[in-house]
Amino acid sequence: MSHNGVRVLCYLLLAAFVLSPFLWPQEKKAEQVDQEIEALKKLAVKVYIDCGSCDLEYIKTEITFVNYVRDRKEADVHVLITTQTTGSGGREYTLSFLGQNGYSDVKDIQKYYTEKTATDDEVRQGLVKALKLGLLSYVGRTPISSRLAVNYTPAAKTGPFVDKWKSWIFSLSGSGYFSGEKSYSYYSFGGSFSANRVTQAMKLNLSGSWRRSEDTFQYEGTEIRSQRDSASLSGLYVFSLTEHWSAGVSVSAQSSTYSNLDLALSFAPAVEYNVFPYSQSTRRQLRLLYRASLNPTRYREETLYAKMRETLWKESLSASLELREKWGTVSASLSGAHYFHDFKKYNVELFGIVQLNLYKGLSIYVIGSGARIHDQIYLPKGGLTKEEVLLQLKQLQTTYSYFAAFGVSFTFGSIYTNVINPRFGSSGGSGVHIEID
Amino acid sequence: MSARQTFLAAVLTTTLGIFLAGPLFAQAPPPPQTGGTGPEDAPKVFLEAPGLDLARLQKDIGFVTFVTSLQESTVHVAITLRKAEGGEEYVLTFTGRDGFKDDNNVLYYRPEPGGTPDQVVDALARTLRLGLVRYAAKTSVAKQMSVDFEQKVKPTSVVDPWHFWVFSLGGNGFINGEQSVSMRSFNGSFSASRVTPEFKFRASGSANYGRDVFKYEGEEIRSTSESYYGNALAVKSLGEHWSAGGFVSGQSSTYMNLDRQLTLAPAIEYDVFPYSESTKRQLRILYKLGLTLVKYREETIYYKTTETLFGESLTATLELVRPWGTASVSLEGSHYFHNVKFYRLELYGEISFRVWKGLSFNIDGGGSRIHDQLGLPLAGASLEEVLLRRQQLATSFDYYFSVGLSFTFGSIQSKVVNPRFGAGEGGVSISISY
Repeated sequence: MSHNGVRVLCYLLLAAFVLSPFLWPQEKKAEQVDQEIEALKKLAVKVYIDCGSCDLEYIKTEITFVNYVRDRKEADVHVLITTQTTGSGGREYTLSFLGQNGYSDVKDIQKYYTEKTATDDEVRQGLVKALKLGLLSYVGRTPISSRLAVNYTPAAKTGPFVDKWKSWIFSLSGSGYFSGEKSYSYYSFGGSFSANRVTQAMKLNLSGSWRRSEDTFQYEGTEIRSQRDSASLSGLYVFSLTEHWSAGVSVSAQSSTYSNLDLALSFAPAVEYNVFPYSQSTRRQLRLLYRASLNPTRYREETLYAKMRETLWKESLSASLELREKWGTVSASLSGAHYFHDFKKYNVELFGIVQLNLYKGLSIYVIGSGARIHDQIYLPKGGLTKEEVLLQLKQLQTTYSYFAAFGVSFTFGSIYTNVINPRFGSSGGSGVHIEID
Repeated sequence: MSARQTFLAAVLTTTLGIFLAGPLFAQAPPPPQTGGTGPEDAPKVFLEAPGLDLARLQKDIGFVTFVTSLQESTVHVAITLRKAEGGEEYVLTFTGRDGFKDDNNVLYYRPEPGGTPDQVVDALARTLRLGLVRYAAKTSVAKQMSVDFEQKVKPTSVVDPWHFWVFSLGGNGFINGEQSVSMRSFNGSFSASRVTPEFKFRASGSANYGRDVFKYEGEEIRSTSESYYGNALAVKSLGEHWSAGGFVSGQSSTYMNLDRQLTLAPAIEYDVFPYSESTKRQLRILYKLGLTLVKYREETIYYKTTETLFGESLTATLELVRPWGTASVSLEGSHYFHNVKFYRLELYGEISFRVWKGLSFNIDGGGSRIHDQLGLPLAGASLEEVLLRRQQLATSFDYYFSVGLSFTFGSIQSKVVNPRFGAGEGGVSISISY
């Protein structure tokens, strides 16, 4: 850290010292504190909610008959919440209740579903209800349960549900983005559609999208403009063979200025094997996917290999692992592909994420990827301008690429996080959250 | 099956149906449920409680169906009495069967000394009810259930040796590259906080470093950035609508041409809605009076290298999370006292709105009038600094605006999950917050 950083720190410490008289205010006793309920709350179940996309503040204000802790090891029950997309584009929330400490014999799984267009308020209300119902298995062992009421209102009889759409679901969307200041402006707009039919036996996804974006810079009287266009159409059909095997075919067409593609078509039959049963997919997957593809392509500019169009065969194999456990998250994939006309035109890519909640308060994450790239057959022969390089408008020639991100965080002090105090705005807790779709 | 057998079977079913449904119709419509008549897919419970009044235990538990044999049941509950330290204890063993296989629990109830048999049975009935909830929650019955806990209880009613202080340390790094581009950035941070309903204190600091290298026609273009931030906030609660406190912040940044800057700002806030409704709606109005001491890295366009500035700002923030959607809008105005022409006005908003079943609309945008860039360096920025956005540029406005519309129709209630060949959207989302 430079001397500037040290000075800023010194200022802060000084400020903290000046403010210190405020830090231990006399907290007045509320007039009518129910002594008994206060005593019961002290014995309430300690809950750790392991969910990045949940509205935790809302959960804490709605469910007050448990205590919330910030570390999984301190908890009596670890609630691991994972989500998956449903056939209708909504979400399936799986709430795994994992009892520990004095409650290690109590385990449960509750599910909750949302529709694609459910508002945030509907989503969080439904989630709170599922949480409440699941937590009762633990709360039932603590004395505070005597203050709870479980109510049931019988519903009016309804006929059996008939799906006149036969599991088909359609979606259309459009969006635009504009931003600017005196010497810089940017816009982007596009649209997409999709049609899907998902059942346990098969899956059909059809989609298309188009997008245009442009940057404009003013620099010393000249205007620098750059435009990017991309469009794609794709289809996927998969049928289920067993709890571990599936087979399918994908077709796609795309056009992109970034990758010098005027029109790239692909037709690819594929087969997949999942080491874990598909029914455990929300927590565990290890999928191996083999794909053979036929790729007729027309380029925008002549390529390095002096081609304007070509039709090539290619094959690829990928393995992807996804684990969501009490101790953290692991996601890794290894994939390789090559062309048949020249085996030297290949690429190999490794990607991995590991996030671990190691010990009380200590967590680490590492995200990394590396690739050997020898199949950029679409690169244009003409070079790039300086602006195209700095603004990353076009793909550059390379034989490798890598990235890595890592971090460590250590938290200590009070384990309780029951309090919500919205004054002067609240800031979300710090930390890293990784979610795998 | 012959026609005659079919006829007999039909008669038998009808008779049985009338016989079984009879009590249901006879009781209808409003009197309270006397247990054991849940909907078709409700858990079927076989209760064994030797020596206890079964009818009374089952009374009012309408979200399950009580059955009379283990074979018909999907949940088996056994209530037994055992000797425990200093008295006797009832043990309620819940065992799931068929669809609820491996879905087990045990609850306990220890009668208070001197309790009447009636009190014991009532307490056991309540415990039985709680224990059965997990099964009912997995059926269509769940929609009609609710759990209520009306008592007000302070969130600070816990035994906490740290008195709600929480400390955190963190470090992050990011590197990436290919043949002609490489980028790296590192950051370290700490925070300390103590949040109770009466008082909030939070302090945090971070140091950041970034370097990009581009290779272009044999030439190497390097660009670095460095910044340090520190913030502290203390707020005292003054009732359901008012709060008072102050901010202290310090920073150093190459992007902002700041060698170092320290700001002290007492502030007061009024929330039009009670703070206790904050997760549903907030309209907070914050007034801040600030003293800023600055030392610049390079001489500014106003020929200054240090200065002391007094300013004030007023911010109104609206946050709504309602059944129709969400809205978050903020309007902020600020100016310096030495010259009121040095001001800034900012408006930001994000609204997502479900117009109709399946049709949703969202809009996100912001804009500002900027007339307070006192720190712009006299020397200006190079082309690389402009393209890589390494330096703040002179401007009198900025804006961004995004709008999206989405319409979905068809089987919108489908709950099928099919993970084969990866999920539809796929991808991994990583969020890092400091």
